[in-house]
Amino acid sequence: MANTIIKFNGVEKRYGDTVSLKKIDFELEQGKFYTLLGPSGCGKTTILRILAGFTDASAGTVTFKGKRINDLPANQRKINTVFQDYALFPHLNVYDNVAFGLVLKKTTKTVIKQKVSEALRLVRLSGYAEREINELSGGQQQRVAIARAIVNEPEVLLLDEPLSALDAKLRTAMQVELRQLQQRLGITFLFVTHDQGEALAMSDEIFVMNNGEILQQGSPVAIYDEPINHFVANFIGESNIVKGKMVADHQVEFVHQCFECVDAGMRPNEPVEVVLRPEDLDLTSVDQGNLVVTVDTQVFRGSIYGIMSHDHAGNHWLIHSVHQSTVGRQVGIYFEPEDIHVMRYGESEAEFDARLEQYEGEADEKI
Amino acid sequence: MKKYSAFYGVPYIIWLILFVIAPLVLIAYQSFFTIGGQMSWANYQTYFHSGTYLRMTLNSIWYAFVITLLTLVISYPTAYILNQTRHKQLWLLLIILPTWINLLLKAYAFIGIFSQNGAINHFLRFIGIGPQQLLFTNTSFVLVAAYIEIPFMILPIFNAIAELNPSLINASRDLGATNWQTFSKVIFPLTLNGVKTGIQTVFIPSLSLFMLTRLIGGNKVITLGTAIEQHFLVTQNWGMGSTIGVVLILAMVLIMFVTGERRKRGGDK
Amino acid sequence: MKMHGWHWRHLYLIFVFALLYAPIFYLLFYSFNQGTTMTHFIGFSWRHYAELFADTRMIQIVLDTLLIALLASLLATIIGTLGALVIYQVKRIWLKNSLLSLNNILMVSPDVIIGASFLIFFTFFGFKLGFNSVLLSHIAFSIPIVVLMILPRLNEMRQSLVDAAMDLGATNWQVLSRVVFPFISPGILAGYFMAFTYSLDDFAVTFFVTGNGFETLSVEIYARARQGISLEVNALSTLMFLFALILIAGYYLLTRYTTTKRRQRRYQLEAKIKP
Repeated sequence: MANTIIKFNGVEKRYGDTVSLKKIDFELEQGKFYTLLGPSGCGKTTILRILAGFTDASAGTVTFKGKRINDLPANQRKINTVFQDYALFPHLNVYDNVAFGLVLKKTTKTVIKQKVSEALRLVRLSGYAEREINELSGGQQQRVAIARAIVNEPEVLLLDEPLSALDAKLRTAMQVELRQLQQRLGITFLFVTHDQGEALAMSDEIFVMNNGEILQQGSPVAIYDEPINHFVANFIGESNIVKGKMVADHQVEFVHQCFECVDAGMRPNEPVEVVLRPEDLDLTSVDQGNLVVTVDTQVFRGSIYGIMSHDHAGNHWLIHSVHQSTVGRQVGIYFEPEDIHVMRYGESEAEFDARLEQYEGEADEKI
Repeated sequence: MKKYSAFYGVPYIIWLILFVIAPLVLIAYQSFFTIGGQMSWANYQTYFHSGTYLRMTLNSIWYAFVITLLTLVISYPTAYILNQTRHKQLWLLLIILPTWINLLLKAYAFIGIFSQNGAINHFLRFIGIGPQQLLFTNTSFVLVAAYIEIPFMILPIFNAIAELNPSLINASRDLGATNWQTFSKVIFPLTLNGVKTGIQTVFIPSLSLFMLTRLIGGNKVITLGTAIEQHFLVTQNWGMGSTIGVVLILAMVLIMFVTGERRKRGGDK
Repeated sequence: MKMHGWHWRHLYLIFVFALLYAPIFYLLFYSFNQGTTMTHFIGFSWRHYAELFADTRMIQIVLDTLLIALLASLLATIIGTLGALVIYQVKRIWLKNSLLSLNNILMVSPDVIIGASFLIFFTFFGFKLGFNSVLLSHIAFSIPIVVLMILPRLNEMRQSLVDAAMDLGATNWQVLSRVVFPFISPGILAGYFMAFTYSLDDFAVTFFVTGNGFETLSVEIYARARQGISLEVNALSTLMFLFALILIAGYYLLTRYTTTKRRQRRYQLEAKIKP
């Protein structure tokens, strides 16, 4: 990758005996929107803090444009941060907050003035320059924080759960705005969140993290469609996960039935987990369904119904359907072979990629 | 920022060593010297074997206790009612204002008020009791000491009550508690820390108000503080004065320990 | 029932306030007495004020006392601010708690102990008693209150503010001067104010370490009060009461100043925006 801007190589973080980051490797390219996604305490904020220079890595190297920056203090990195609590200086007004970094760099007054108003215009806060911070709403404070960071023209912008304090409606609006802003500025964004919806909506690339490790990296669609393990499948979107057995290539058995699928490259009769997304399951009559289930509860969610049901083996199935059903009724559920996603136990991302390449290659040869 | 802390912390650390640790060490060291300059346990032996010193200590503790109790009884309701007034910060400021008047001026005022022809005796004569000897009595000492300490007791209690989450009181009422039950089972236990801070800030100084015992108590009340002042500045027996000082410090540590310990236990409940 | 409760409560408050202020006003009242006792008010007169202003010794003492208070509170505020920063930055809990306990020793110690131990301290090192020993003592016993006024502000300050300043390119010194100091300035102001009043009010410690050549107001009042009533002291208390009122009002206005300034600016701004 020619335009790699950030590279983590075997980065670890330990506090005494506790390891909060285990051998992290990744690369960020210039001009893309990346998201670190994971539950709280998974180490995503630690990565951000190491990158910003607020904490040191215990091991490994962090490079910025090919140069090692482990020992470069935060105030000398061309990286800026938007903080979770915005961290706006309460004793300064909007203008002085945004101008803070430029003033420190001894920029001339006219340039500061021009750059600050440009930054405020970008976040659609022109005319708010003289306001005090405590006079602003949460959403406005959020934008000031973004303006304060981007006015310094960083090459990488770090965003630490910046939307978590906003209400749902504002959050959705800000997601769109952030994405547009990133595309307009053309710089790299590294966004940290625990909200999978946010990650899917905004990112070019997502890193799913848990327990100090990156479990899977990929585009939102790839991660959603082909989660690597139970954790990722469960964390991203809603999933029905059942235990199964890989009878042969393209043949998987679950709920005592054999189904055709698109996965391959596993040992014969290998125990696996099978993922079926609720929106891929269609309600149908008992005789037309691949599986027969009994409806337990039904929740109206606005555009769809969420239907909870169970099969005769005791597995629970969540179905998203535009049609309603009746509690207690037996129904069939129907799905296509490509709706089935098979996951191996303990398979790493590298192994997964290798297997995918191998059997897709075989498929090409056959054609 | 870490790298510089060692550098800019220097003045503060010097202060800690010179004016906190060194004086404590020195007063302990001095307490082993007799008036003749010999180093021995003599001062401690005198202290614990002569009835005079022990009686004085008990006396001092007793007066401090009475002063603290009197102050608390007046201050708690005041703090409680103050919290319900509308401009409570303003009223609180008015409570604090008298602490801005030099302690000695207030003591001086009482010399006039309690004197043979002073305001109180005027009043007593008016209601037919007739003039009494007020100045230079134990009672006048206790009253003036309590007068001086009242704001210091009100302040922590006021803060504790102000910090009380009002929905706790609503919750208590909601669960069927009467006003008295709300007070005794919710408000008072939750403001106990304020009371303890108040007791600490009143009791300890009350052990050592030597200027009041001189000006108002007429040397009839001898507190630990009076004895220390006497030994240091009058009889020049620094060793004995330091010994009493060490005892006072130990008493202080004990009080801090006891009130601190209870706080922890209260937290566990 | 409610009205009744209201009535008694307020009666009690009035009683407490009367109790607190009666001695003070008694003192002030007799400062205008034409006579020389605090028991018989003969008639109104300024004579005790005239006596006070003619008393050069007293005026010198007042000036010395103010000088000590100003210097001591200033130096105590500087050292105390640095101390608060040190305690704030210590991460190890046991060390932080030990520092705090050491800091608070002088807060909880009776004045007599502070005075006696300082006296031993100065004598032990052969330090001459007088202006300098009083000044040093006042600085010493004012430092802990400054620390205690500033620490809560520091603890209120979120770490992210410091991170943000660093992130925007601030050096260590710039973080302190542009973010930390402005943030804790109300605490510094309160600390200075408290240190000033501690110094003005102190009697016991000064009494121990002052020696013979130097006197502060408290020591002088003590000496005069032991000799009996002198209405010059009453006149002095009236002036000091006024001084305290002015100080409090000044402090009050100073803390309000910034907020009003901001509010005014906002009004101007809104006036500009509105057609």
